[in-house]
Amino acid sequence: MKSTEKPIANPMVVLREEFDDWAILFDPGTGEGFGINPVSVFIWNHLDGKHTADDILVKLRAECNDTPEDAAQFIEEFIDTLLEKGLAGYEDH
Amino acid sequence: MTEPAEKQKNYPLQQIYFYLTEGCNLQCRHCWIAPRYQGPGKTYPSLDLSLFRSILWQGISLGLTTVKLTGGEPLLHPDIYKILDEIKKQKLSLLVETNGVLCDLEISKKLKAADENTQVSVSIDGADAETHEWVRNVEGSFEDSISGVKNLVKAGFRPQLIMSIMRKNLNQLEDIIKLAESLGAASVKFNLVQPTARGETLHEAGETLTIEELVETGRKVENVLSKTTSLKLIYHQPPAFRSLGRMFGEKESIGCSVCGIFTVLGVLSDGSYAFCGIGETIPEFIFGHAEKDSLRDVWNNTPMLNKIREGLPSKLEGICGNCILKGTCLGSCVAQNYYRSRELFAPFWFCDQAKQKGLFPSTRLKE
Repeated sequence: MKSTEKPIANPMVVLREEFDDWAILFDPGTGEGFGINPVSVFIWNHLDGKHTADDILVKLRAECNDTPEDAAQFIEEFIDTLLEKGLAGYEDH
Repeated sequence: MTEPAEKQKNYPLQQIYFYLTEGCNLQCRHCWIAPRYQGPGKTYPSLDLSLFRSILWQGISLGLTTVKLTGGEPLLHPDIYKILDEIKKQKLSLLVETNGVLCDLEISKKLKAADENTQVSVSIDGADAETHEWVRNVEGSFEDSISGVKNLVKAGFRPQLIMSIMRKNLNQLEDIIKLAESLGAASVKFNLVQPTARGETLHEAGETLTIEELVETGRKVENVLSKTTSLKLIYHQPPAFRSLGRMFGEKESIGCSVCGIFTVLGVLSDGSYAFCGIGETIPEFIFGHAEKDSLRDVWNNTPMLNKIREGLPSKLEGICGNCILKGTCLGSCVAQNYYRSRELFAPFWFCDQAKQKGLFPSTRLKE
């Protein structure tokens, strides 16, 4: 993804949060579920078409005390995976 | 991000489970294989050494990397030293499940020599002699098993203790963890008593836990007790009931603990090829015999194995068919499911009962 792009979560995909802050992204179309960790849940919740990966990183750093140095890479890779699987995309203009 | 399991296209035979002996020196109330009791002065048949060697050689050409020795009681085998030598010679990884009674220092060192990374699990079903021996049905077996664990530790192992949870020992979870810590174990695995063979009798007698108790105990082990110890605690419940963090988190991962059904074959003490130890109670799960059938032919051409490969996970029925983790879990235990229903793709009893009681985690369901 490009740093200026603002991805948006596929509205058909359901985020099912669990008791330990992990969650499942469930795609009713395929019946597949993907487990995601709490940081990924945070990212997912910001895929609203208004945030770039850099914006999300800033918010993550503001929210979490011990954000790892490779957080930017993690965010980009996670979003790329979502795009690849059709779990996120971009709004048509 | 975790991935749903991909459908395998080829099936290397990675592991063979050897049920080495027809007899066992204990007579456990919950045993799902129910071997004959081999008390003092008794001897029952065990796997022929030349067959064992032949199976290993054939297995290696099919992808074999790991051998599990179990029973009965594997250390009862009269040629156990030669068996371990053969495993070492073939540079195979070794897993051993034992009751520990025969684990003297010599055999413990031999196990270590067979494979530096040998994993040994010892069954301890109570934190005291009274409880353990109620389950194991042989007087003095607690002290013998504890000595066995100590010998394994002296030989350089950090063994796993396995406790099968039932009404009799439910109040000893904390004590067994303390015992494991004091002995130098690496982990404690809490097994469900499967309703198979003697385990079925135990279920019918009300000596096992209700599904409500089993689910609650799983939560206790995973979310409470695991935070009180540095030991790895594994509650052997289906993945649908495990927290994602415990399965996939980097810090405390215990994995999914699922059956390697696509890559495992069992060999019974008489040389029969079987699905696993279930072949002792279900004749349909015997696929041939090492004396007359080639392992390659059995592995590649057994209709029931191929039916399972083609049907899992898509043909799973009931709650298992509706579970989003079915590609990982594969129905938990096909052998147990078949034992219960005579249907290969029937749901697992634990999940089935949990669904009926409204205890199946809703986040793990498709619908």
